[in-house]
Parts: sequence; C-alpha cells; structure tokens
Amino acid sequence: MLMIEFDRVSRRFGQQDALRNLNLQIDDGEMALLTGHSGAGKSTLLRLLLLLDRPTGGQILVDGQSTKQVQGNAVGHYRRRFGVVFQEHRLLFDRNVRDNIALPLEIAGFSLHDTNRRVRAALDKVGLLAKERADPNGLSGGEQQRVAIARAVVARPEFLIADEPTGNLDPALSVEIMTLFEAFNQVGVTVLVATHDLSLIARSRHRLMTLAAGQLMQAGVA
Amino acid sequence: MTQPQKRDQGHWGAWAAWRAQHRAAASTSWQKLVVQPVVTAVTWLVIAISLALPSTLLLTLDNLSAVAGGVDRSPQLSVLLTGDSELPVAEQLQRILKSWPEIDDVVLLDRELALSQFIQQTELATVVGSLARNPLPHTLIVMPGPALSAAAMTELGQRVQTLSGVDRVIVDTRWVARLETALQAGWRWVLALGAVMLMGAVLVLGNTLRLAIEARKDEILVVNLIGGSPAFARRPFLYLGLWYGVGGGLVAALLLMMMTWWMAGPVNTLFLLYESPQTMRAPGAFYPMSLTVLGGSLGLLSARLAAGRYVRQLVSLASSQNR
Repeated sequence: MLMIEFDRVSRRFGQQDALRNLNLQIDDGEMALLTGHSGAGKSTLLRLLLLLDRPTGGQILVDGQSTKQVQGNAVGHYRRRFGVVFQEHRLLFDRNVRDNIALPLEIAGFSLHDTNRRVRAALDKVGLLAKERADPNGLSGGEQQRVAIARAVVARPEFLIADEPTGNLDPALSVEIMTLFEAFNQVGVTVLVATHDLSLIARSRHRLMTLAAGQLMQAGVA
Repeated sequence: MTQPQKRDQGHWGAWAAWRAQHRAAASTSWQKLVVQPVVTAVTWLVIAISLALPSTLLLTLDNLSAVAGGVDRSPQLSVLLTGDSELPVAEQLQRILKSWPEIDDVVLLDRELALSQFIQQTELATVVGSLARNPLPHTLIVMPGPALSAAAMTELGQRVQTLSGVDRVIVDTRWVARLETALQAGWRWVLALGAVMLMGAVLVLGNTLRLAIEARKDEILVVNLIGGSPAFARRPFLYLGLWYGVGGGLVAALLLMMMTWWMAGPVNTLFLLYESPQTMRAPGAFYPMSLTVLGGSLGLLSARLAAGRYVRQLVSLASSQNR
C-alpha cells in the first residue's frame, strides 16, 4: 500500500528550483534511502514532507490525503505521525536522557506510567537502558545519536525520517545506526533515510533514490 | 511499533492528557525558577516594588480619606476673642451674633474648659502649669444658616472681625477643603504612578521572559519539529510568567505590611492632629490577595504577549533557517 507520494512536486526559491516536478512513492513498511549531492534537494524534500515548508507546485499525498489540507493545529498532529532524526541530533542539553526521550510522549499527552514504560522500552532497543538518567553532555556522539533515535521512535510513529543521521559518526557507528533503522523497519515502521554516505549506500539492500538538481535521477536497489 | 499513538493512549483521555501537560509545564517552569535563585529574587523584587509602592500610597490615601470623610464639614466660623476679654464680654458677643439673621447658632467655648481639655488630650499638665496665665482665649463657634455661600461666609467673617473684642476669625472648613483637594490630587498622582509602575513591571517581565525563551530556543524548535503545538511551546513560559507574577505579588504584600507598620506611627499622629479617633488601617486580607492576583495576572499577560510573539518568530525563523 502506498504511504507517501510526491506528485509533480516543485519548490522554487526565487529564480532557483530546489525541486522540479518530482514524482516519488514510498510504500507502507518500506525502507528507502535518498541520496544526492549537497543542494540536490534532499533536505527540501524532507522539509516538505514534515510541513516545515510547502510546495510551490504539485502535491504531497500521505495515506492518500493531500498535505495541502493539513493546516493550523492539524500540522502538529500530522508531524506526530513522523519520528525525525537529524544529523546534529538536536538533543536538549538541560534535560537528562530520559526527559529528552519523553518529550514526544509529553506532547502527545501520555500518562507518566506509560511514558516511563515506553522510554525504558525505547532505551532498551537502542542499548542505552543504563544511561536513562545520564546527562546528554556526557555521552559520546554515537550514544547521543542513539538517544535521538530513541526519541524519534518512542511514540511509535508510522514513519521514521532521518536526515544525514550518520554525518558526524565514524563508519562503525554509522553501520550500528543503520542497523537500528533496519530493526525498526522490520517491525513495520516506514523508514526514509537521506544520506550521502557512500559506504552505507553500498552496504544497503534497500531502495535507493538519487536526487540531482531537484529531480529524481535514479531509483533502484543500491 | 506501527500502531498510531492515538490508539495507544487508550483510556488516558484528552482531559487527563491536557492536565498532565499543564502539570508538567507548571512543574518544569517552577524548577527553572528554583535553579536561578538570583534572577528569580531580582525579578520578584522588581515586580514587588512596582506593586507595593502604589499600593502603600493607596492605603495611606484610603486612611486619610476616612479622616476627611469623618469630619463635620458644615461651614462654621471660629471666633477667637482677644486674650484680655473676660467671660461676660464673650457671652455678650454670643448674644449679639445669635441675633444676626444669617446665623443659626453660636456656641461659647470657655477658655478654662478648653485648657483642661487640652491638658487631658496632650498630657502636658506640667508645662501648662508652669505658665503664668491661661494662654487660650474664649472662642465662639458660629454656625451660619445652611444656604450660605462661600462668598457670604467670607463676608460674614469680615463683619465678625470688626466687632470689639474679636482677635481673629477662622473659617473652619478650609482645612477640610484643602485636605480633600490634596487627596483628590493624591489619588490621581497615585493612579498615574501606579499605571507607570505596572507598565514598567510588564516591560521588565516581558524582557525577562524574552531572555528565558531565547535561552530555551532549541527546545521550542525541537517541540515544533516533533509535532508540539504553539500552545504547547508557549505553555512553560506562561507558567514562568505566572510564577514570577504571583511571587512578585506575595513579596509586594510582605513589603506593604512592613511599610504599613513603619508608617503607622506618623499617620496615627496625623489622625490625632486632625482630632480623628481612628488609627491607621492594616492591609488586612484584601490588599495582599489583590496584590497576588494582580501580580499573577500581570505575569500571565506579560508572558502571553512575549511568548505569543517570540515563539511565533522563532518557529518561522527556524523554517527559513532549515532550508
């Protein structure tokens, strides 16, 4: 079943096209990699998907519904369907690991009991159960990224979106992070990873989409 | 993992979720205050001064108004006779004045009686006893008819002044009129001062909250990215404003009580000078409660203004920066 569809999507900034008549589909439960040089439009695509920006042409359909209809307070509800991981992981350094991971649950209004249970389950999945009360400042880069992944999956989103999640990590840690994404994909989460890490792309057996100058150039298994 | 979160919340419910979010926001904001005791104390003090100063003046004026309100303001003249005028002269003048058609009544205050009352009120018996003679003159209190205008009163006073044996005529209502006018001016001054100081408090609070929002910019951006509504992002700052305001109001109430205690002596002396039996009223429960409510409202208002605008700016700035 089709989950995400970009239907002739364009995004123009002044005279420059960041995306041009882009057609792209991601199926339910699929894991796909999105690659391309800097400025190819990867981040713009993810921003459009998360409604941090809007297309200047075409439409994005999620579960068959156009994102054009998602406005106002519905934007927050829409974004909660996604778990998002960034290259710079964006942890809050005035909160401990547990409180960082609990933030999406706090937003969704989970009870304290459910929050604690889910935070521990997410920490267990990323192998950081012992660091529940740790200060994020004291964690390594790989551990910080794993906390960010735990935060992204703790509310059990339908989609997991990652923008250059291994950009600041060494190759071994990058493989570890990708393995985590694959584990989440295996339990049914639709995963989209934007990366230009060639070693990860070479290792992956998932669908690869290559963007160049705002257009989809190639799609196939890496 | 694929189950949408709404189904996972199950029995928890929207109302309980909303309460949990408020509880968390209130508690987090309070913790932020506690970990910055100096900033918190200074902000509370600034708000407290802005609230306590006008309210102390209001309380004082409130007390003084009671004095002015309690005084019999029917126009009357105090006619002081010359020091050498004896009682028969005073009684004769009383009869003359009583016969005038524009005068209703004339009361004679015997100087011996006046001296004994003075000694009783001031406890200056030793000092008075050392005087060779009674320094007080006989006094006639003249009560004119009710329809007498201010100009007619002045004219009447001038005519009484010409009578033999009269030393000085005092229009007794003048000090009340002066006090009333001063109080009216005082009320306006206090209201203007209060408005300016409250505006200052709002600006100080707004700036403090703006700095707090700036310090937690990353949190707002992350909340926005992971689906938190603007209301969710604003909420901790609204509680921060509320805690600053309520804390400032409570400190203001404390300052007011201290200032009232400190001012009670001179104000009570003033009451005595105006022959009022009352003493300075304490702030009671009304003033502290009003100050706390006012402080809390100011805090919420400032937070709503600062957070509403600044959070919106941050979110739109984040959208443009993430390109």
